Amino acid sequence: MSAIRSKGALIPFQASSGGLMLLIVAAMAFLACFALAGALATTRIAATWTDGLAGAATVRVDASQDDRARRISLVLDILRDTDGIADARALSERDVADLLTPWFGGTPDLGELPAPGIVAVTLDPLEEPDPSVVQARLDGASAGAVYDDHGRWRNRAARAANAIGNLSWWALGLTIAAVAGAVFLVVSIAMSAHRGTIEALRLAGAEDRFVANLYQSRFFWLGALGGLIGSSLAFGAFLGLETLASVRAALPMIDAPYYWPLAWIGVVVACGAIALLAARLAVLAALRHRG
Amino acid sequence: MIQFDDVGFRYRRGPEVLQNVDLEIPAGSFQFITGESGAGKSSLLRLLYLDAVPTAGRISLFGRDVTTLTRDEIAWFRRRIGVVFQDFRLLDHLSAAENVALPLTVAGARESAYRDNVTEMLQWVGLGDKMEVRPPELSGGEKQRVAIARAVVASPDIILADEPTGSVDPAMAERIMALFVEMNRLGKTVLFASHDLAMIEQYKLPINVLRGGTVATGTGKKGRAA
Repeated sequence: MSAIRSKGALIPFQASSGGLMLLIVAAMAFLACFALAGALATTRIAATWTDGLAGAATVRVDASQDDRARRISLVLDILRDTDGIADARALSERDVADLLTPWFGGTPDLGELPAPGIVAVTLDPLEEPDPSVVQARLDGASAGAVYDDHGRWRNRAARAANAIGNLSWWALGLTIAAVAGAVFLVVSIAMSAHRGTIEALRLAGAEDRFVANLYQSRFFWLGALGGLIGSSLAFGAFLGLETLASVRAALPMIDAPYYWPLAWIGVVVACGAIALLAARLAVLAALRHRG
Repeated sequence: MIQFDDVGFRYRRGPEVLQNVDLEIPAGSFQFITGESGAGKSSLLRLLYLDAVPTAGRISLFGRDVTTLTRDEIAWFRRRIGVVFQDFRLLDHLSAAENVALPLTVAGARESAYRDNVTEMLQWVGLGDKMEVRPPELSGGEKQRVAIARAVVASPDIILADEPTGSVDPAMAERIMALFVEMNRLGKTVLFASHDLAMIEQYKLPINVLRGGTVATGTGKKGRAA
């Protein structure tokens, strides 16, 4: 008998609420992909910065032009005799000029500038020295030098990147909450519209979980479809926009192509699962509220 | 099977709709409930299909105090109770067959297992040729017969009818009454609410008259339909 369809037909489908649901989830999935990408990218950028600055230090030698060579030589001797320092090399005037070029807009004349001498230090990765010990040794020799292990910069960079990363995770969390809230609201409205149907189901002996299953299965597929649309647009944007080249370079999923289908499926399933859970909660809450 | 002991009921803070109701309905019996509009017939039936709980006294159903039932137990008890309403309460987006199959679907039965049963029920109420028709395309009498088929398809122990002949012409009312009598003959307990005293007095069956929220019991003129 073709007159009896599956139990999914028990709840009437409303194209308007279904379309609204799709639009909301697709938009949120699109934003969630960017939030997720932002979180992953900043985590990676923070690691790159801290790794790049780790294992190196700088000694600034403040001295007049006449005395600079002697003091740099003294500093080099001290450093090479310090445990935990693998190498120490004085930068040439040309190297120092190159470092200053971005701030002066051209190659500066170091003869007219009170530029310090710079010693680049390579640290032993297995046993980095205590910065205060190194500084004490330099002070003891009256070398007029300042030891900088970049710790301040490293910490600032890591803090900044972590803050942006945390914001991205918060944005992702808010997006998930917004999707769940929207589904909850749409299901609650749908249940009001289906009041007669739900009463008939309950009088026929339907348990709460039976009614919940009807809604959650429908909203799972709506959520998953919305997630598929939104994530497809977002991933298309990642791949297609040349202006996002730096972001793309920072995303681990770009480097590892196998991440793509995994991430894609993950977003789609997550959207479906969030919609399912929110729908279930909305139905159970509404049924208990009605008594 | 059904026992009311000093039952009272009111809607929120409103006046008492039922008060001091004592009623005993043995298994397999057919009883009428009558009374003027607003006398509390529908409220009494609501208590029986577990859509409300008494505000005083005790109702025993299948040997259980209804106020102690959990939500899941209420659902399971409702599967043993078929209800027919004056306004049919059919689902317009489902076919007649899907409406009839509703109690079996919610009980988790597979369509292949109950397909023949649904067909048989619709044929029994004379609608074997309207299985795929949706309620908006059916007449009042046809809708009521679909509702009756739905109420009995899962073979419940109790059938409650709330003014089931109120929206149909006298000829159809007679036909619908015959269906309830037949269900009672098959062993179902039937509780039939109607304000049409003239109609129900034709049957020599217990009549519970609701007046001022309390019940008085008598018997109709006609011999037991069975």
